Amino acid sequence: MKRKLKKVGIALFLVLIAIQFYQPALNQNPGQDYTNDFLITTNAPSNISKLIKTSCYDCHSNNTEYLWYDYVQPARMFVESHIKEGKEELNFNEFGSYSNRKQQSKLEAIGKQIKSDEMPLTSYTLLHRDAIINEVQKQELITWINSIKQNSLSEK
Amino acid sequence: MKTLFLTAFLAITIVSCNNKAKETETNATETQAGSNELFACPMHPEVTGKKGEKCSKCGMELTEPVAQGQPAHDSTHDDAAQPTADETAANATSAFSTDEIIANYLKIKNALTKDDANGAATAGKELYKTFNSADASGLTAAQKKEYTDIAGDAKEHAEHIGDNAGKIAHQREHFAILSKDINDLIKLLGSNKKLYQDHCPMYDDGKGAIWISETKEIKNPFYGSKMLTCGSVKKTL
Repeated sequence: MKRKLKKVGIALFLVLIAIQFYQPALNQNPGQDYTNDFLITTNAPSNISKLIKTSCYDCHSNNTEYLWYDYVQPARMFVESHIKEGKEELNFNEFGSYSNRKQQSKLEAIGKQIKSDEMPLTSYTLLHRDAIINEVQKQELITWINSIKQNSLSEK
Repeated sequence: MKTLFLTAFLAITIVSCNNKAKETETNATETQAGSNELFACPMHPEVTGKKGEKCSKCGMELTEPVAQGQPAHDSTHDDAAQPTADETAANATSAFSTDEIIANYLKIKNALTKDDANGAATAGKELYKTFNSADASGLTAAQKKEYTDIAGDAKEHAEHIGDNAGKIAHQREHFAILSKDINDLIKLLGSNKKLYQDHCPMYDDGKGAIWISETKEIKNPFYGSKMLTCGSVKKTL
């Protein structure tokens, strides 16, 4: 029995080593063009800009700031699939290229997600403690998002 | 404390909505006889008066234009995104049919009125497929541009409704934006069906939301059984 357990343990360890070799491409683009960037096109104030960059940009932009354990499998696969999904849904680097309708609808959804604490994901803030948005910041963010929503509406 | 406030709020609105059904009948005659500029309370559609007056029940300003015979123009609550001048475009003959899109939209709507999150999800997936297979090549260049914008956005909302079978509140958030898209789509390309644009004044913290319905009777998809008959017909599409 004991020997069997040991065998299983070794097998698992080997698998763990083996999957370390699988390292998908990083979500990093040093030459990123920021002309369509959300924070640039909306002229976000610095406090809002910092908040969104820290709490949202890891999964919703073309540049993720990885932490050391993000490189360790199987965390790596988990993180990478989240980023892929996040960027498909909303990529702040490309926000300016969205149609006006889509921008409005995204702003609406961003506000709702933050308000209902759906975003940032708890699985993300669990380890990225600095990404947690407190109540005061939450209000600031929502107020700001509502203000730019009206701005772009009146531009039409 | 928060839940206490919420339940109190719900209780009040449920009571007010129940009253509505009874009182609208008596108010209908008054409305017809009154001056031609009537406004209703956003929370109590049965309370009407001149613009700027306060609701006798809650003290809110009367801001909702009341339809009297002819369709209401609804200037206060419509978004800037809904041009009225374009309405003639709706009658333009085009090779593109909105029937299937509308049919699937209505399926989502009807599932939500029944608080059926799974039904809404199934219909959401169907709508997503419909948008993906839709062929916009028969449209004029100008129509096509607007259609692409609308479809691109609506498609995402359909997908989200399809993916969130367990979260009806989230489905309803997307349904609110989807309804605006469908409304604009009908404005752009028309519909073979007689449809109504309905308005729920309470949804989204009192900001209100519209939905499209095939029946004149009000069945509120944003609150379902909680306040099924709450809302009003804004216009016929």
